[in-house]
Amino acid sequence: MKVAEIQRFCMHDGPGVRTVIFFKGCPLHCAWCHNPETQSPYPQLLFEAQKCLACRACGECPQGVHGFAQAHTLHREFCSACGRCAALCPTGALSLCGKDMTPTELLELILRDASFYQNGGGVTLSGGEPFLQGEEALELLKLCREKGISTAVETCGYVSPALLEKAVPFVDLFLWDVKDIDDPRHLAYTCVSNKPIMENLRRVDSLGGKTRLRCILVNGVNTEEAHYTAIAELFHSLQNCEGAELLPYHPYGDSKTKAAGMTSTSHPEWIPSEETILQGKNALLSQGVPIHG
Amino acid sequence: MEFYSAFGNRPVRLSDATRKFAYDSLHCRYGRETAENPMVSLDHLDGFSELTDLQKYDLAIREICTHAPIRICEGEMLSGSATLGEAIRHRVPASFGGGSVFYAVSHLTTDFETVVKRGVDGIRSEVLASLEHHKGTDREPFLQSCLSCLESFAIWHSRYLEALREAGYEENYAILSKVPFGAPETFREALQSIWFVFAFQRLCGNWPGIGRIDWFLGDFLERDLAAGRLTLEEARELLAHFFIKGCEWICGGNYGSGDAQHYQNLVIGGRDGEGKDVTNRVTYLVLDVIEELGIGDFPTTLRLHKDTPQKLLRRMAEVIRYGGGVLAVYNEELIYQSLLAYGYPKEEVWKFANDGCWEVQIPGKTNFGYDPFDGLQILQHKTLRPGADFATFEELYQAYLTHLETSVSGIVERHTWEMLGKDEQGNWRWGDWEPCTVISLFEEGCIASGRPYFEGGAIYNVRSPHLGGFADTVNSLYAIRKLVYEEKKCTLSKLLAILSKNWEGEEVLRRYVQSRYTYFGNDDDGCDSIAVSLAKDFAAICRKQEGRCGYRIPPGISTFGRQLEWAPRRMATPYGRKAGEVLAGNCSPTPGTDKEGATAVIRSYCKLDLTEMTTGAALDLKLLPSAVKGEDGIAAIIALMQGFVTLGGFFLQLDVADASILRKAQEHPEDYATLSVRVSGWNARFVTLDRGWQDMIINQTEGRT
Ligand code: SF4
Ligand code: SF4
Repeated sequence: MKVAEIQRFCMHDGPGVRTVIFFKGCPLHCAWCHNPETQSPYPQLLFEAQKCLACRACGECPQGVHGFAQAHTLHREFCSACGRCAALCPTGALSLCGKDMTPTELLELILRDASFYQNGGGVTLSGGEPFLQGEEALELLKLCREKGISTAVETCGYVSPALLEKAVPFVDLFLWDVKDIDDPRHLAYTCVSNKPIMENLRRVDSLGGKTRLRCILVNGVNTEEAHYTAIAELFHSLQNCEGAELLPYHPYGDSKTKAAGMTSTSHPEWIPSEETILQGKNALLSQGVPIHG
Repeated sequence: MEFYSAFGNRPVRLSDATRKFAYDSLHCRYGRETAENPMVSLDHLDGFSELTDLQKYDLAIREICTHAPIRICEGEMLSGSATLGEAIRHRVPASFGGGSVFYAVSHLTTDFETVVKRGVDGIRSEVLASLEHHKGTDREPFLQSCLSCLESFAIWHSRYLEALREAGYEENYAILSKVPFGAPETFREALQSIWFVFAFQRLCGNWPGIGRIDWFLGDFLERDLAAGRLTLEEARELLAHFFIKGCEWICGGNYGSGDAQHYQNLVIGGRDGEGKDVTNRVTYLVLDVIEELGIGDFPTTLRLHKDTPQKLLRRMAEVIRYGGGVLAVYNEELIYQSLLAYGYPKEEVWKFANDGCWEVQIPGKTNFGYDPFDGLQILQHKTLRPGADFATFEELYQAYLTHLETSVSGIVERHTWEMLGKDEQGNWRWGDWEPCTVISLFEEGCIASGRPYFEGGAIYNVRSPHLGGFADTVNSLYAIRKLVYEEKKCTLSKLLAILSKNWEGEEVLRRYVQSRYTYFGNDDDGCDSIAVSLAKDFAAICRKQEGRCGYRIPPGISTFGRQLEWAPRRMATPYGRKAGEVLAGNCSPTPGTDKEGATAVIRSYCKLDLTEMTTGAALDLKLLPSAVKGEDGIAAIIALMQGFVTLGGFFLQLDVADASILRKAQEHPEDYATLSVRVSGWNARFVTLDRGWQDMIINQTEGRT
């Protein structure tokens, strides 16, 4: 499995204390992506320029990616992500994002915090899109279940229906991303239609899968009354949904965008004010949607 | 009137008058008054210099009790105040020729169980009986001193009665007429009884802990409630006054290390001798008061075990969330095991409390002291002296252990001076020590044996070497092992030269050891295994010292905030820290080196065999306010406490703090007078620290969160 990062002691990605595994690869390309380094399914070289001391140890790159003519510049187009320079870099400025791990290896890491899961906590698979890991994602979920570890999966929903169906019995909670209910807008901002996503959501729901709608709030994009009403309607049409959670857009993903050498997409105007967030909360609450998180 | 909170508004349950009382007390109203009256003078006493020490002491106590100002705070429900400033500095506040004459005794919890059960009259009868038994022996002068101090206590007590009557505090008067000399029958009487004895001990310069307050008081409260004599609300007000009066010493002022807490700790929850959980309504009232007032005194520790009620755990989490670091947790089961393994009798271990900080002891029975020292200093100054050379890491480590042993042995050597060798029966004979009768009166064993607290009178006599700089030492050793002996990136002598130049010109290597090695607190066995060995070897070193003197030598790991004093004097370390930068506190990771979060820190710490740290090893964890918001936050705090117990921790101090709040407090101290900061065993109001200390705490908070 391609792992971007593992974070222990996470509090706001499902109930209790959780270990969150961020996988690489995502079928969506949201304009506001908070974890841009997880979009690509392949390993990627990250470079944090502020840590670099220009020691030139990375100059040993077989592809000649690192140039030091003036400042330290990267010719990423030649990078094969072999990881050699990251292993040589003494300051941690270079790192390789995307580590191959087996479900058993991941289980071992997850179990380390088992003593802290007694109060409803457990593991959350996130990303990226965890279900892009295919059968291995299933295997990991099954292994966790065998050990009595509570499982949550944060999914964008744009995944194979067959895989989802097989996963339902092993997932205690789906943190179901709701980017936008309005389909043309969904397509415009995420590059895919939300129709298959909604179909999958209903499929999971009909199979008894427990869900929580994780709604991103992007100021001026999806913060109008009608959107909240649409979320409320969606909620009421589901049998096994426990409510919604609001995730206000933040620009912190941008530092990672830069480190991954991607084009910066920061939109300060998208940050919702406290007031807008509260409005959203109240709009949902007043239409009978329980708010979590 | 607002009380500092790191997380939203604190609830309001207490009356306006009580809140105002708290506010005034925390804003130094009584502490300043106390500071203005440092001592009573003994200069007018003819022939004072010719007296024996014990006679001098008795006179000092007599003069204090006769002349200390009497304070009755407006509307107070409990009476008795330690009104002499020098007492805050742990001295008997009586001067002769300009300076105070005697030190007082702190770092213990005295016997409040007897006070509540039998009253001070019961103690007096015990003294008389012992006097009868020891008539004509060398024990007589001490027992006479006991009587004299009890008489002085009665003088102070009657002055209070007089003043209360004059001021029209009828209820206080009526209750104080009965206790603490008589045994209490109601909740308020019991609380007043404990308070008055505590205040007397403080008046004379001693700052003990109280111990298991809910266990003492639970039955009194239940009886009052059942009889309709008292409501829960009234009980909460009374308890609040107990806390507020506990803060009467707070006098602000900028000391380097601020107005750190005065070893007055409470213990709540836990099991009794039959294994039954003692949690009762007093337990919850204590939490109510802390929650509302965020009051730094009394620091309170829960004895957590597998049957601790869920409701109590939840209340703990709710209160911890407001920050201020008042609450902490003991792992009761592990401490039982530890005390049993060390040889304490089974019928004693369940009674454990602390010395007023967090070092575990059997309260009211233990002559306790601890000897703090910095393990990093030993490594830097002894083992890694210029020119040091070791063929292998193991050689280096063994050399370090030898130096550690020399230090511990030196500590024990000092304590042997308190002994006069052994008698015919092979018992240690104790030499004469400073008089401390006021404390001896409230320590089981002293009266019966006719021996003072410092001269073998107590049931247990303990001097605990406390290893400081633990994580810094472990991290230093680990970095050396990796860099010099495994990767051979540089020789030891080269590394030492680099360190002596404070990493100058070696930024790349410095960043290498910082970013590429994983240090203590990240749940990585590489470095953690050194921590495990060091703790084990330190315990073994202490064991070897047993029997050399009359004291037992149980080990512990702590710094109690001393790392703030040590930091400017420690040179650069092999793990990339520059000279003068922050050091690790207690048994916690070095700030900035723990990157895997709180659960990994707990896991690393719990890898140590903490049953061998008989008096304790504390872990301090700081959480960000944003991390503990909502129901998830409560769940997280509970999970941390439960995991800590499951994994075999000893003492956990959980605090919620935010460096940005501390910065604001630096700019606007007037708005943050009640903001307290805490590392285990050390608690000060932030605004009373000088700038350097404040900065260090801010750095530490940032590194940790
Ligand atoms: S090895 Fe690291 S620190 Fe050195 S030049 Fe390359 S990126 Fe910078
Ligand atoms: S990852 Fe490999 S190819 Fe890419 S820059 Fe580093 S050394 Fe060169």
